[in-house]
This record gives sequence, structure tokens and C-alpha cells, in this order.
Amino acid sequence: MALKALDIYKLLPKKNCKECGDPTCLTFAMKLAGGKTDVDLCPYLDDQAKSILGATTRPPIRLVKIGVGERSFRVGEDTVLYRHEKTFYHSPGIIFRVSDTQTTEEIAAVTKRVRDEKFTRVGTDLRFSGIAIENRSGIAETFAQAVATVEQQQAHLPPVLISKDPVALSAALVHCGSYRPLLHAATRENFKEMCTLSRKHGCPLVIRDATLDGIVGLVKDCTAEGVQDLLFDPAPENLGAFISRSTLIRQHAITRSVPELGYPVYLDASWSGQQDACLALGIVKYASVIVTDPLTPGPAKASLTLRQNIYTDPQKPIQMSPGLYRVGNPGKDSPVLMTVNFSLTFFTLQGYLEASRVPCFMLIVDTEGLSVLTAVAAGKLNETLVRDSLAKFGVGDEVIHRNLIIPGYASPLSGRIEDATGWKVLVGPRDAAEIGDFLHEEWKKKP
Amino acid sequence: MVSEIQFGWSGTIGNVMLGATKAEGGTRRVSYCIGGGTSLPFIAKDHSSPAPLIAFEVCDNPHYWSPIVRTFCGDLVNDLAGWVKTADMSYKADLIRLHLNSTRQRDFTNITAIGKTVETVLSASSLPLIIEGSNEPGIDSDVFQRCGEAGQGERLLLGTAEASRYRSIAAAALAYNHSLIAQSPIDVNLAKQLSILLKEIGIRNDQIVIDPYTGALGYGFEYSYSAMERIRFAALKGDTDLAMPIICSPTDTLSIREVREADPVIQEEMAVNWEFYTGIAAAAAGAEIICVRHPKTIGMLREAFASMKARVDPTGER
Repeated sequence: MALKALDIYKLLPKKNCKECGDPTCLTFAMKLAGGKTDVDLCPYLDDQAKSILGATTRPPIRLVKIGVGERSFRVGEDTVLYRHEKTFYHSPGIIFRVSDTQTTEEIAAVTKRVRDEKFTRVGTDLRFSGIAIENRSGIAETFAQAVATVEQQQAHLPPVLISKDPVALSAALVHCGSYRPLLHAATRENFKEMCTLSRKHGCPLVIRDATLDGIVGLVKDCTAEGVQDLLFDPAPENLGAFISRSTLIRQHAITRSVPELGYPVYLDASWSGQQDACLALGIVKYASVIVTDPLTPGPAKASLTLRQNIYTDPQKPIQMSPGLYRVGNPGKDSPVLMTVNFSLTFFTLQGYLEASRVPCFMLIVDTEGLSVLTAVAAGKLNETLVRDSLAKFGVGDEVIHRNLIIPGYASPLSGRIEDATGWKVLVGPRDAAEIGDFLHEEWKKKP
Repeated sequence: MVSEIQFGWSGTIGNVMLGATKAEGGTRRVSYCIGGGTSLPFIAKDHSSPAPLIAFEVCDNPHYWSPIVRTFCGDLVNDLAGWVKTADMSYKADLIRLHLNSTRQRDFTNITAIGKTVETVLSASSLPLIIEGSNEPGIDSDVFQRCGEAGQGERLLLGTAEASRYRSIAAAALAYNHSLIAQSPIDVNLAKQLSILLKEIGIRNDQIVIDPYTGALGYGFEYSYSAMERIRFAALKGDTDLAMPIICSPTDTLSIREVREADPVIQEEMAVNWEFYTGIAAAAAGAEIICVRHPKTIGMLREAFASMKARVDPTGER
């Protein structure tokens, strides 16, 4: 159960020393109640108060920072099971893996690719997030050499070091210890040595166990060793196991029914032989760090696009701003197509218009994000709106003709639009996919 | 011990039967019963619902079809019977979805041909069939009547009913005992409204598959994803007007810029992955029929669904 601010306040020292950064103990208590600050910021709390407060006031899923500098990223601090309940905040890092059994050239090439590759869509640069180096050779020196090769590329990418062997990790950390690499993985057998390394270098640490009870046990042991920045690798044996375990971890974490499960999830997508399915499921089902073999162009773009889609704020209305949009480089005699400001309608139509290679204008009218069908039915799309939009966006100055193409589903309005605007209306197809043929055939036939 | 999640849900996704075998009054070699879920997709321990079905889409006028599919399938696209047979025997789809896009031509009148086309497809493959009819109020009634008649006894899935035009399709479903696809524009409340409208004219819940409209990945897919999750969630909470299986039909996938303008060398890979990532995510959100147009996507989805449906203990105890 979450504590109320006043209950928390009773446990605080009430010195108003400001050392936590807040002006009073009461304001600190209020922030703690909202999960907005960390109980460790108070230097005067005794251990008992700390353990009571720690469990109930910190964010349900701990925020963990991976890497340093510009390419570092944060995961965790998400609060919902469904993105429509609020939003998913911290999108998963997608990390390319190399092995220390590969040649220096291969390792350098993958590193450079992650450093340089980007793909811009909807005004945002989409990139892969970091590089994982795996100690497949089993030899500490070879592992350290591979890590050195990665660092020589000056890519400053968040590293993930994959080895069961603390000696190999220790050798690798000589080359990247100050970059907050993520260490994979602490198990029942090696957690003490792993915690020592994690503490020494300030690295986040992945706990690996195929049972949730095992994970909870390791969380207790690792936090007792002083390591707080943890992630879980639930070692799923198939895709169903991943969905089930990741959902269970998320649900127990956000309801705080098992507070020890309040850490982000790590997923190795390449173990399964079904890397793409695993990657897609990791993105939609709560993974925070996903390690894959370097992706070919199809999965690369599809996965980055899916990640962008799923981590978009769902509360943002599905609307475009109304206005006159250009497709290609339209001239005075180019067609004008009117449609609604439902963003899906816009993007779909825009895509088909670009494919048609007919330069044209898109007149986007404000139906408050309703689709054509709904807007016609609700009366939101009407002749007054079309007339006012033509005037407001100066469409008459852009073209010399007075022909307006309207969506097929708006055909009942065609007469009224003609009367209200004085423009001649051409009824387009119902399906945007047919707009290319329409422009090539019907537009040319117009008088 | 970490326990399994107790969501306390009372609802069950209703069942819909697709196709009819000889014993069931049809001629299909298999029929499917979808629905039945009692929890989030793929996490119920009792595995009350089957793996999602994969529908391969074909059409009777390939002029409008994606050039990527036309290139891959070659001359087959001009031979509907052969295309359907290949989809069944070689591409190994679970279902055929026939788009009667010949009806999209302006001033289409050849209604007789529609019945023949449906018969051709039914005899080319004995898989259950989904039919996408016309999109023009003037001919809807004739087209759906003809489809329903040609597929009598086969328990077809007819598409697509929308709030503004559902009567013709519902009439055909009622007269010949088929099911129908009910499409609403990415909104859980509109989906509910439409199923109430359909109920009012006599369509039973076990005749409805919900299509919340699937935007292509990168072009609004996130809204469709959440609409699917919300519909499933409302159904599990007990809303019987939304307790129907969901179909994911991302019809624009092969036309979006990333696929259309991809370098020819990687265009096929791009097309298949765009369909695949969409299908996996939609299945995770609750879709039980995934429609694809590229043959290569089918096998990839099937392999993934098998692993997603594998029996596991969510807490990891074995």
C-alpha cells in the first residue's frame, strides 16, 4: 500500500535541513508520496524508516540509466500495463550484439553502423541504442580486446558486457568502466563478484534467472550488496514465456504487490531463432533493453517504427493541423483535394498521392480529428466548413481553376458545397488507394 | 512465492465459427472456432483460445493489387483459381480472403460474375473463406446477396459492415447463415455502437468479428493497437457488445512509403517485415485473424504464433 504524505512525514526527521533539496520535510514527504523523489536523498533517516519508505515511495519501476553522454538512455519508471491508460514513457534500447570471436574489422563495422545509422520519420531521428559485446571465446584477454576495439571507434555508445565470468568482465571494464556499461549477468552462482564489479564501476547490473522467485531472491541479495540499478533477464524459453513473465513482472511492479519486481526487463531477442518476433514482442510487452544480432534493413526499419508508434503518447489527439498541404511541386492548374484532419486519413491519402506522381494540393479541413465517414454523419463536415477553409487558406490564390475533389464518402455534400463555394465539385473515390487512377483518368477528363 | 496475476475478470471472448465441414453442412476440409479467451492474449494458463489464424488475401482484379505481390506471385495473380490453390497448398494459409475489387470499377454491373468468382474460389481451395464485397451502396445489396448465396452452407465471413452501411451485408449473413466483419474507425465506443446496431437487426454475437481498422505500421498503427487492447479489455471486464474476436487487416501496408520506395534489392524484405511486425504486435494486442498479402509473411507468422502459444508457467516454475 502506498503511504500518504502525512504518514511519510511522521517518519522523517522534521529538521527542515534542506539537504535533500526541498525546502521542508513536508514538501519532501509530498514528493515521496507521488514517487517523484528518492528516499536516499535524506541523510538523516534511520535504516528502519528507510526500509519502510523505500518500498512504498519510490517509483514502482526503478529508473536506470545506461551509458553516459549524448547516447545514454534511461529505462524504467513506467506505470501502466496498457499504453492507453497513460502512456509508455521510456522506450526500450535496441542494442546490436557482437561477439569477441569476430574479427576486429567486423566488430568495428557494427560499432560504426550503430554510431552513424539513423532513419528519420515524422521529424524524429530513429537510431539503435548501443552495442553489446559477448564473451563467447571464454577468454578474458580476447573479451577485453573486443571491448577495446568498440571503444576505439569513438562511438560513445552505451555498452552491454555479456559474460558469466567476473574476471573477463573485470578485464573489459578496464576499457569502458567509466561509461556505465550494463553488466550481464548476475546469477545465483556469481552475484557476489558481479555486485563487487557493479559497485566499483557504478554499473547497472542484469539479474538472470528463469523463475520469478529466483529473481526476487537475487534482487534481495544484490540490493543487500549495495547494488540498486538492476534489470531482469527472465531467460524465457519461448515467446509465450516472455509475454507471460514480462507481463507478470510489470503487473506485480506497478501494483507494488511484489515490490522486488520493480526493475526494468532485459531481453535477449536472438536466443530464440525468432529474433524478429522476439524484438516486436519486446517492444510491445515491456522490455527495456533488447539485445539483437545486427538487423538487415527490413527488420531495422520495422522495429524502429514499431518502437516509435508504441511509445507515442496515446492521449495526443489523432489530428493534423488544418491547412493547405503540397504534394510534390503543384502549380496553378494542379488538382485540389479536400479531406478531413484525421491524421490516418491524411497520411494514407498523402502516401497514395505521392505514389501517383501528380503534384497537387491537399486542403485539410478541421473535423476535430474525425474520419470522413464519421464527420459527414455527425455533420462536422459540411459546406460551411469547406467554404470557410477555402477562404482561410487562400486556396483561390494558389490555383486558377475552381475544381475541388472531395472524398467519395462526402458525395452527399457535393451539391451543397458547389452552392456554398461556387467551386465545381468532383467526387473522388471512397478508397484512397484508387486516387492515383482517379487523377490520371477523371481529372484529365474534367471540362 | 511470486503468484500469478489475478485480474478478476469475468468476461470471455465469444466464439465465432469460420467455415463448415461436410459434417457441419458445408464442403470445407476444416472449420475454425475462434474466440474463447478469458485473459490477456497469450498469457492465460488454460490456453482457452487457439493461435491466431493467418488469412492470405487475393483479389479478382489484380490491376489494383500491390506490384510487390504481383512480382512475387507472377502470372498466378491472373489465374484466381490457381492463386487460391497455391495460397492453400504452397503458401499454407489458414484462410483465404477474397477481395472482390472488380466491383470497385466505376459503373460496375456484372453481378452474375461475382457469384461465379466465389464458386471458383470455393472449389479451388477447401479452406474457409472470407469475402470482401463491394464498397458502393448502389450495388451492395446485389453483391452480398450473390456472395451469400454462392457460399450457402460454407459459413463465410463477409466484409465489411460499417455504421453507415451494414444492412445489405447483414441481410446476406442472416439469409444464408454467414458471419460478418464489423469495422469501426479505431474507436472502442464506435465498435460497440456498431455491434448494437447489428444486434438490433438480428445478427447474433457469434456472427460478428470486430475490425477496429488497422492503420499501417508507422501510419497510425499505434491507434489501432490500442483500440484492439481496449476492445479486449472491455470484453474481459464483461461488455458482451465487444466480446467478439478481432481481425487485423492492415490493407495499406504494402503501399506505404517505406515499402513502396524501398530499394528494389530489399523491397521484398521490407514488405514482408512490415507485414510481420504489424501482425505480431496486433496478435499481442488481441487480434485473432491476421490478414497478409505477401506469401512469405505466412510462414514467419505461423512459427512465431506457435512459440507464443507454447505452454508455460508464467512464474517460471517447471
